[in-house]
Amino acid sequence: MNAPTQIKTPANPRYVDRDTLFEVERFLIREARMLDEERFREWWQTQLTEDIHYVLPVREIRMRANKQPIGSNPGAFVFNDNYGMLDMRIRRLETGLVWMEDPQNYIRRFISNIDAAWADVDGEVDAWSNFIVYRNRRQRDETVVWGTKQCRLRKVDGQWKLAGRTILVDQRVVLDKNLYFFL
Amino acid sequence: MKDVSKLILEDGAVQDRRIYWDQDIYEQELEQIFARAWQFLAHEGQIPNAGDFLTTRMGEDNVIVARQPDGTIKAFINSCPHRGNVVCHADTGNAKAFTCAYHGWAFGLDGALATVPLEHDAYYDAIERPRYAMHPVAKVESYKGLVFGTFDARAPSLRDYLGDMAWYMDTFLDVPGGIELLGPPMKSILNCNWKVPVENFIADGYHVGWAHAAALKAIESPLSPLAGNQAYDVNTGLQVATRGGHGFGVIWDAAAAIHPEGGAFRDWLAKRTPIIRERLGEWRSRFYNGHWDASIFPNCSFLYGTNTWKLWLPMGPHNIEVWTWTLVEKDMPAELKQMMVATNMMTFGTAGMLETDDGENMEQCTGSNRGWVTRRGKLYSGMGQVREGRHPELPGIIGKGIVCETSNRGFYRRWAELMSGRSWEEVAREPRSAPNREVA
Repeated sequence: MNAPTQIKTPANPRYVDRDTLFEVERFLIREARMLDEERFREWWQTQLTEDIHYVLPVREIRMRANKQPIGSNPGAFVFNDNYGMLDMRIRRLETGLVWMEDPQNYIRRFISNIDAAWADVDGEVDAWSNFIVYRNRRQRDETVVWGTKQCRLRKVDGQWKLAGRTILVDQRVVLDKNLYFFL
Repeated sequence: MKDVSKLILEDGAVQDRRIYWDQDIYEQELEQIFARAWQFLAHEGQIPNAGDFLTTRMGEDNVIVARQPDGTIKAFINSCPHRGNVVCHADTGNAKAFTCAYHGWAFGLDGALATVPLEHDAYYDAIERPRYAMHPVAKVESYKGLVFGTFDARAPSLRDYLGDMAWYMDTFLDVPGGIELLGPPMKSILNCNWKVPVENFIADGYHVGWAHAAALKAIESPLSPLAGNQAYDVNTGLQVATRGGHGFGVIWDAAAAIHPEGGAFRDWLAKRTPIIRERLGEWRSRFYNGHWDASIFPNCSFLYGTNTWKLWLPMGPHNIEVWTWTLVEKDMPAELKQMMVATNMMTFGTAGMLETDDGENMEQCTGSNRGWVTRRGKLYSGMGQVREGRHPELPGIIGKGIVCETSNRGFYRRWAELMSGRSWEEVAREPRSAPNREVA
């Protein structure tokens, strides 16, 4: 699946029922806690489909008259990962040789404004949410990243899994030294 | 002007720590380096058509770079000469004019003042328009598609400024079809002095095995044995310091080394190498297959092979913006270009597996100098000084091995020359400091 590079409510959204919305909310909130607790391998193994496309395009600053869509330029992604690339990023963390993560950083993910609608593929849902991620490291090094994301969820063997995610960070200049964490 | 003669000692091998922290030294850098030296602005391919523009910075000065109707490129400071307002807020686009949001003064693509609202009724037609053009970048020149600018009309030509570095860079610039930079650039921040990442890229083969141990293991590349500095062979490469403060280190046969799936790139290199050999000779065909870590004085760096292209834009003595593009050969097939972009993103992008290792070190190397006593100390980059010298066939000063600090010393020699306030002519007359020793 190709993840979208712009996040926008579709023309006629078929919003999901209350039970499904509750399941979607639980999925996103539990996923965030799993990542906060650094359970990256578990996340990769249990929460993602193998055809996942995980994307964070660079947002260029343009005048409104310039209608070229964000992310339409092929050279402009911070993340453009498939299942194998996400695995590689996690393997790096698992080596125990990432000096920057030792001592541990504190990363806290906040999710809000969750909404969901049935996607154009049967049994799949598009979920929207906003996020704030707070990161603290060393003595007093702290940053906050704000943004929004659109997630494609698919039910596999009765359990929701993440099949696609497009993230937009609301900063042209990322005001953090890097984004080496999952959003 | 501050006396800077004691800040760089022992032929570039010793740096005073104040150069990474003190505000007054930084101000002198803006004046003596960033207001004089050539700085990278763009690749011509980023603004191919008349009216195409992009905004960037030279030092801390905001600059607009615009393609003119006659095909030439001009650059000028992005600030209205009336009340100083920024005139263009977009990263890039196409324009017929740049109009200030404050009072509506409009400027042509060449920066000339075009229209002034109420010029007749309020100014009584008394404005001398030529006096109020946007402040021009004194010289804008291209070298094989790379566009640079300088605020100093007395600066040497771009070709002379690049000097022997141009001979080396032809390895990848002078390929059939040329190169292009894919973007828009990622942008992020680091709380470090701008010289620290320049050092890292120009000369620091030493940190690769240690700082990037985790990434090298995860990528499972031919460089993985370097992880933890468990293996090092002095014949794996060399370092070059060219006159003018530019330089690089090369690891032979490693161009594709940190590509997670480097097969297609290796095939490409094998196919192109005979052409490069024919065109540029044996040595540069060897460089073509090597992996380079490089910097162009003062603040542009790149890795040929991984093909990341970086600008370190100073935002005060302890803060920079990092801008990152992907460099590709124009003739590469689309899938290979996409692979180059993906590798750059995975390694030296804003969420890159190696960028992350470096950023933290750069911040801590800078921040430690906050301490008043710490700041009075010195730093030492004398590695390999006793073994560097001339080479019978290669220009510049050659240091043996990739783990070496020859090009770091070259960078600081030029830094000291410009910071002293000496003219370009005086600097050019300085004797080369290549030791009278041959290094093969």
